Amino acid sequence: MNPISAVGAWVLGAVEEFGQYTVFTARALWGIVRPPYRLRNLFRQMEFVGNQSLSIVLITGAFTGMVFAVQTDFAFGRFGARGLIGSTVVLALTRELGPVLTSLMVNGRVGSAMAAEIGTMRVTEQIDALESMAVDPVQYLASPRIGASILMLPILCAAFDLVGALGVSYVATQVLGVNPGPYYARMEWFVDPDDIWGGMLKSSVFGFIIASVGCYRGFTASGGAEGVGRATTRAVVASGVAVLVVDYFITVILAPMSVNRA
Amino acid sequence: MSEGCIRLVNLQKRFGAQEVLRGVNLDVPIGKITVVIGRSGTGKSVLLKILMGLMRADEGQILIGGANITRFGDRELLKVRNRFGMVFQHSALFDSMSVFENVAFPLREHERLRERELAARVNAALASVGLVEHGHKDVHQLSGGMRKRAAVARALVRKPEFLLYDEPTTGLDPIMTAHVDELIRSTQDSTPGLTSLVISHDMAATLRIADKVAMLHEGAVIFEGTAEDLQNTDHAAVRQFVEGRLDGPIHL
Repeated sequence: MNPISAVGAWVLGAVEEFGQYTVFTARALWGIVRPPYRLRNLFRQMEFVGNQSLSIVLITGAFTGMVFAVQTDFAFGRFGARGLIGSTVVLALTRELGPVLTSLMVNGRVGSAMAAEIGTMRVTEQIDALESMAVDPVQYLASPRIGASILMLPILCAAFDLVGALGVSYVATQVLGVNPGPYYARMEWFVDPDDIWGGMLKSSVFGFIIASVGCYRGFTASGGAEGVGRATTRAVVASGVAVLVVDYFITVILAPMSVNRA
Repeated sequence: MSEGCIRLVNLQKRFGAQEVLRGVNLDVPIGKITVVIGRSGTGKSVLLKILMGLMRADEGQILIGGANITRFGDRELLKVRNRFGMVFQHSALFDSMSVFENVAFPLREHERLRERELAARVNAALASVGLVEHGHKDVHQLSGGMRKRAAVARALVRKPEFLLYDEPTTGLDPIMTAHVDELIRSTQDSTPGLTSLVISHDMAATLRIADKVAMLHEGAVIFEGTAEDLQNTDHAAVRQFVEGRLDGPIHL
């Protein structure tokens, strides 16, 4: 095959794949709003995505805040702006690090589990069995997972922001010896609720990406245990990259709103 | 005759350039066990999927009680699907649920029952396959034969008119195969009005359980008859398959 037709084949394949993903996702979203409503499945997934991810999100958040306090001190200390450590780091946490790091951690835990679980159901005919019992497998399996991720990621992100802020404040005021008065005054002055809401909104979009890609990869898995492994890897890699790419575009779209207020 | 059977007329299905079914004509008699035999990859599973309404035929008719279900819309097809139960090749039990919950699943999805009624129905289905004491177990705690029995209980719990088996004995040892054959036979005998359709390439099993045998080859039915007819046929391709020989009209 010559290089041009190879590129063409790759592009056609990618477009077709994206089209199938879009159709799948539309079916899953429609499945969230139409009956039957399987609240038990939704709550179970919310518990899995939310509660069970809380500990890793809290640990990641606390240490991210703490290490950024140290690094920012290293830079800001050179020109006597140590009082700005708190506001700088908390802005970075709420606007960027919270949603992105929460999503990447959850992606590793939840996106991979969704792809592996649904992929195993696919290759062991459990999805065909659902269909044979007149149950829509996309609505039964994908809709609650996507719905739960859209709902729970912002809450996890808020928890990350909170412990991150506590972490940076503890290290700045207790370890590095920054004067707490100006530290908290500047933080209050610089950080707006909109920063937190914007971050939570982003993480909700990331939750949608993680769950929809994980479920799609699971549904399209084929070829036994190896195929499930491949589906899982592809889900995690694709979601991780997609989160970072989409993050940039959401940030660019959201940015004018926060510039206006200043 | 047409009242007493499911009638497949000139059923055709192709995937791209590949013709899988090239005009299947078959009568599946009501209240009997029909076994469809044929080599792997001759479209047997596709036939089952079309019959259940999981896949649409390109051409041809499926007549159930005189109604042609290939013309049905999605909603009517869903109703047709409720009249079928399917036992998958590897049982396909949900491994996230207990045995009891697996059997209860179709009832919970489609019938509004009180918990006590539901338990009675599920336990009756489990009892019919001898699994009552195993309802609380996880699926992975069951042996292969018990899984198959649980799968039959799940397929039977909504009292379907038609029970389909997709290669029920593939990959099982001879004793387990005999056990599953016995299960298919006893399920048929103890369920009045049930029609069983078994897809298989296991000759010994076929001769044991079949009231009627049909052989699918290259997308068409090349033989129909009783198990006895099958053993006495002169049809060269059928003979080759039955006797499991390499030389003959069928090539690898």
